[in-house]
Amino acid sequence: MVNFTVDEIRGMMDKKRNIRNMSVIAHVDHGKSTLTDSLVSKAGIIANARAGETRFTDTRKDEQDRCITIKSTAISMYFELEEKDLVFITNPDQREKSEKGFLINLIDSPGHVDFSSEVTAALRVTDGALVVVDCVSGVCVQTETVLRQAIAERIKPILFMNKMDRALLELQLESEELYQTFQRIVENVNVIIATYSDDSGPMGEVRVDPSKGSVGFGSGLHGWAFTLKQFAEMYADKFKIDLVKLMNRLWGENFFNATTKKWSKQKDNDNKRSFCMYVLDPIYKVFKAIMNFQKEEIDSLLKKIGVTIKHEDADKDGKALLKVVMRTWLPAGEALLQMIAIHLPSPVVAQKYRMEMLYEGPHDDEAAIGIKNCDPEAPLMMYVSKMVPTSDKGRFYAFGRVFSGKVITGQKARIMGPNFQPGKKEDLYEKTIQRTILMMGRYVEAIEDVPSGNICGLVGVDQFLVKTGTITTYKNAHNMKVMKFSVSPVVRVAVEPKNPADLPKLVEGLKRLAKSDPMVQCINEESGEHIVAGAGELHLEICLKDLEEDHACIPIKKSDPVVSYRETVSEESNQMCLSKSPNKHNRLFMKATPMPDGLPEDIDEGKVNPRDDFKTRARYLGEKYEYDVTEARKIWCFGPEGTGPNILVDCSKGVQYLNEIKDSVVAGFQWAAKEGVMAEENLRGVRFNIYDVTLHTDAIHRGGGQIIPTTRRCLYACLLTAAPRLMEPVYLCEIQCPEVAVGGIYGVLNRRRGHVFEESQVAGTPMFVVKAYLPVNESFGFTADLRSNTGGQAFPQCVFDHWQILPGDPCEPGSKPYVVVQETRKRKGLKEGLPDLAQYLDKL
Amino acid sequence: MANFTTDGKLCIERELDIANADHQYEDIITRFNILETCEWITDNKYVKVCLQFPDDLLSVSAAIYHEIKKRVNVDLYILGDTSYASCCVDSVAAMHVQGEAVIHYGHSCFTKSNIPVFIILPKSDLNLDIVKKLLLENFKSNDNTELCLFYDAEYEHCKDEIASFWFQNYPQSYVAFIQIEETNHRFLGRIIRNEKNEIVSVDILKQCTCIHIGSRGQTLFNFTVSVPASKWYLLDPKENKVDILEETIWFKRRRFLVEKCKDANIIGILVCKLAGDQTKDIISRMKQLCRVNGKKSYIVSVGKPNVAKLANFPEIDIYVMIACPENDLYNNRDFYKPIVYPFELELAFNSNRESYYNYHVTDYDELLRGKRHYCDISHMKEATDVSLITGNIRETKIQSSEEGSKDLMEKQNWALENIGQNLQERSWKGLEQKLGETEVKRVEEGRKGIPLQYSNEPE
Repeated sequence: MVNFTVDEIRGMMDKKRNIRNMSVIAHVDHGKSTLTDSLVSKAGIIANARAGETRFTDTRKDEQDRCITIKSTAISMYFELEEKDLVFITNPDQREKSEKGFLINLIDSPGHVDFSSEVTAALRVTDGALVVVDCVSGVCVQTETVLRQAIAERIKPILFMNKMDRALLELQLESEELYQTFQRIVENVNVIIATYSDDSGPMGEVRVDPSKGSVGFGSGLHGWAFTLKQFAEMYADKFKIDLVKLMNRLWGENFFNATTKKWSKQKDNDNKRSFCMYVLDPIYKVFKAIMNFQKEEIDSLLKKIGVTIKHEDADKDGKALLKVVMRTWLPAGEALLQMIAIHLPSPVVAQKYRMEMLYEGPHDDEAAIGIKNCDPEAPLMMYVSKMVPTSDKGRFYAFGRVFSGKVITGQKARIMGPNFQPGKKEDLYEKTIQRTILMMGRYVEAIEDVPSGNICGLVGVDQFLVKTGTITTYKNAHNMKVMKFSVSPVVRVAVEPKNPADLPKLVEGLKRLAKSDPMVQCINEESGEHIVAGAGELHLEICLKDLEEDHACIPIKKSDPVVSYRETVSEESNQMCLSKSPNKHNRLFMKATPMPDGLPEDIDEGKVNPRDDFKTRARYLGEKYEYDVTEARKIWCFGPEGTGPNILVDCSKGVQYLNEIKDSVVAGFQWAAKEGVMAEENLRGVRFNIYDVTLHTDAIHRGGGQIIPTTRRCLYACLLTAAPRLMEPVYLCEIQCPEVAVGGIYGVLNRRRGHVFEESQVAGTPMFVVKAYLPVNESFGFTADLRSNTGGQAFPQCVFDHWQILPGDPCEPGSKPYVVVQETRKRKGLKEGLPDLAQYLDKL
Repeated sequence: MANFTTDGKLCIERELDIANADHQYEDIITRFNILETCEWITDNKYVKVCLQFPDDLLSVSAAIYHEIKKRVNVDLYILGDTSYASCCVDSVAAMHVQGEAVIHYGHSCFTKSNIPVFIILPKSDLNLDIVKKLLLENFKSNDNTELCLFYDAEYEHCKDEIASFWFQNYPQSYVAFIQIEETNHRFLGRIIRNEKNEIVSVDILKQCTCIHIGSRGQTLFNFTVSVPASKWYLLDPKENKVDILEETIWFKRRRFLVEKCKDANIIGILVCKLAGDQTKDIISRMKQLCRVNGKKSYIVSVGKPNVAKLANFPEIDIYVMIACPENDLYNNRDFYKPIVYPFELELAFNSNRESYYNYHVTDYDELLRGKRHYCDISHMKEATDVSLITGNIRETKIQSSEEGSKDLMEKQNWALENIGQNLQERSWKGLEQKLGETEVKRVEEGRKGIPLQYSNEPE
């Protein structure tokens, strides 16, 4: 049934204006994979009749079993647009002259928040996004998250209202009500779009509009879909109105009076909304006739809509017949593929405005220009966004997008990891690309080479990259920007093999797991424990299952999930802290203070970062956080790892030789910021000020050996005198449920230290949305608990939101933070009890 | 005097910690085996002999000196304040006076030395009744598990009594006796014998339950980690109790450090042991391991290491310490960069070794050619791997350093490049002139006084 060959696709790959790279994104259970099936059925890889049931892009067994997408999957499809539809493409960069065929590279992504990182990876390599919204539940939290991310990456969205069959069959909505629902969803989506982009931006108009055909309606499960264009085509001849004009008339405040044959902008008693009359009514009639088994009515309707029932379907009735009829009348594949081809940008169009978001280097070097022009003759620039396991254990395909040049089998290329810096050799490998491949759902096909604007897989570079990287042939190329994830790995479990001798296998397995998922972190901690950290319980469950069954292949013991904490301070140090070097000849005077609210987050997001120009940064800190600008100019460093949300500021004046010991002080700061004084956890939101330094006049007596350990001691003293606190991660939790269940939700949240900050009804539905903050530590088993307390009616989505102080003083025995500190110290093999200030603080 | 300290009072009032080690021994002659010592000296016809004392026995050193001097007419020297650890024989100090032999007093780690040594073990009283009672209460002879008995060196003087009681009650078992002379089956100064006094190989202990009579300390710790027995018990006659010993947390931490070695690019070989053949051998072996793995290594010798000394080399990623197995710095976490055992560097860099191990080799001597834990070094292939510590790719880059001198130029360039990279990351290089960048200022009054406390320092 495959109606295209690899050669045909390779031919298409050169016609870069006829390529569409797109992802399908949505909230969980809004029907992405099912909808994707109807596209695949149109492109002909699986048989028509099975569309809607197969979930072609769910390639893993657990995905099929759980009916949930876990990994994003790419498929390439070929689709020809008819002559009459081609006129809708006006931009010359959106279509090669005299070419009707389009190559669509589609990535189906997971909807559950825990797998958001897969969405991020998918968005990076695509230019357009099909946003699927269940018209019954409307725009949900994850719809908003992924849409926001798409806009930030300059991905153009189109909208599809899914599950119309449910609206009609289950909710029995009147046509006007349904219109209002649609209208509201379109508005909601456009509000989100408008918040994160504006029409005058480089992408042009981004908002979706049914009357332009960038919004589709239908049912992925039943395999039918339409845009206003389909209906306008049906009526255009009859009304003798231009297609585009008619599409405009079919949406919004346009009413038609059937008796006077007059259009009007206002609703009155005799006229009816055009969308209801011309679009919804016919669909309602078909539904009603078939579901009520009105045989004659059905026959006449079928004639009107021009559908003939095939012989083998003749004896069907009810839902089965409805599916056949709707699918023949309004085939989903056709409508969707038209939307994609007409409204989503080609790489040529998209890369022009995406280059500056993608490339770290100067915007006028060869690589930047190659990306901007999507030039297959320019030097190769490819971004690898994720690793896909192969059937060969432990090996991966590097999956990514060619933005410039050509990637060729056997070509020698530079493989640059995320830590590569131009001019240095770290994280840089020059290797041969063993094979380039085309990835189509469950199948892979070898292909000689892949030109710019296309998505493909590579064999043989997986050993040189952990998760992502840039592949280039240009010697002076910089990295492509690393992806920013909307979720963080805050839930952790410790793993160990059931049989201790299997440890090496576990370690190998963890290394493979680290590659196979864009988000998961596999960490060997100072204590020697092996930690797997993921975005949430579900994510971890899947990762551990993969680890046990695919990567390590040994039975594993896992601890209960825990969270990682951060150490911070709540006040300024109550005294000037002095520490002396071991030779007593150098003295540091410092204090710690908490950062103002919002600054640690600004640092996390890179709004304030070590690579900024120090003057600009100082001005920003001065304006936003009322930092003294002269002090803010002397931020010595960020930490831990040189980028973390803690800073070391030089507030001293006229200290001799200070610049000579800066490196040593910075090293000590990085050390202390990584291993805090309470439980050797990372610090967060602490500003250290150096007020004075006394140094020995001979360089030999103020070397690193004297300064590094002393800095650490002094910083520890600063922390201990500044009312140290612990911080814990907190989820933003969105729960959808009927009104009756709201009470139950409050009960569960209260027991788990959560608090509700918003409660609202989803307009047009009986559903309520409750938004709450919930400490991650209390979230384990939350879903199950919630379900049992609401009779299975509430379904939460939790995503990491912020860090908050764990109430209580960790220095006070019996308090909750004290217990946490002691447990952590014990686990890490540290001395139990509290750190002693006298060990760090010296007297003059 | 005023030039050296601001305030003379400070010196006078400073309190010093002194260990109170004023032993009064009535029985010096028997307690310190004076007669045997004299016999040993005359038998071997030594002329210059050194007496090495740990700090806590220095107070009796003079008395012992006189006792020996009375009996034999040889040149005697007292050695105190040993360079590294008083459990090891300080052969260098002995060489300073051209001593021919050393009499070692106090706690000993039984490591090999290249000078004749007569070891005089400390003695403490053992309440045999308590030991017997605890043994019978806690261990049954009819169990299927085999047992092996260890004891602290200070109970060596009553080993015969212990052993006879032991073999009476546990006939199918073993005793690890102290063995001072180097022999084939000796490990950590012990040798295992069965009831018939036959020597048994250490491997037998794998299925044994081991019991140690003594107290907690580095010696016992080394036994528990180096001998992969099925279980370890401590029978403490002073505390009158039996404890089970487990070091799983320690092993986890050490495995982490092995991984850390693999991440390191520059390795410091920290020499904390006096010269000797094994020391030279192990240093060259460590160097070779680093070389075949493409790591840079430096030999660091700073006397007794401390935090400040080692932090003077911030570019070194990890230290491998060549020291007495009883050195406790290995587990110290105050150092800027961690310190590992030679065995751990072997595990990280010698692919011929099994990647999983449930025992440790604390004594590096056993890693050398011809010894129990020797293992050939294989040449590494270029490979990449994910580090679970940093989350980055780590690479084994092999330098063709063994191919001869034709790449000398290249090697030099490489070395320069390496040095350059380390210095590049420093913000202060020390030699830049910064012409025109430094503000012109009026002369200010500088610092006054001495570094211990400058007179114009803030309070």
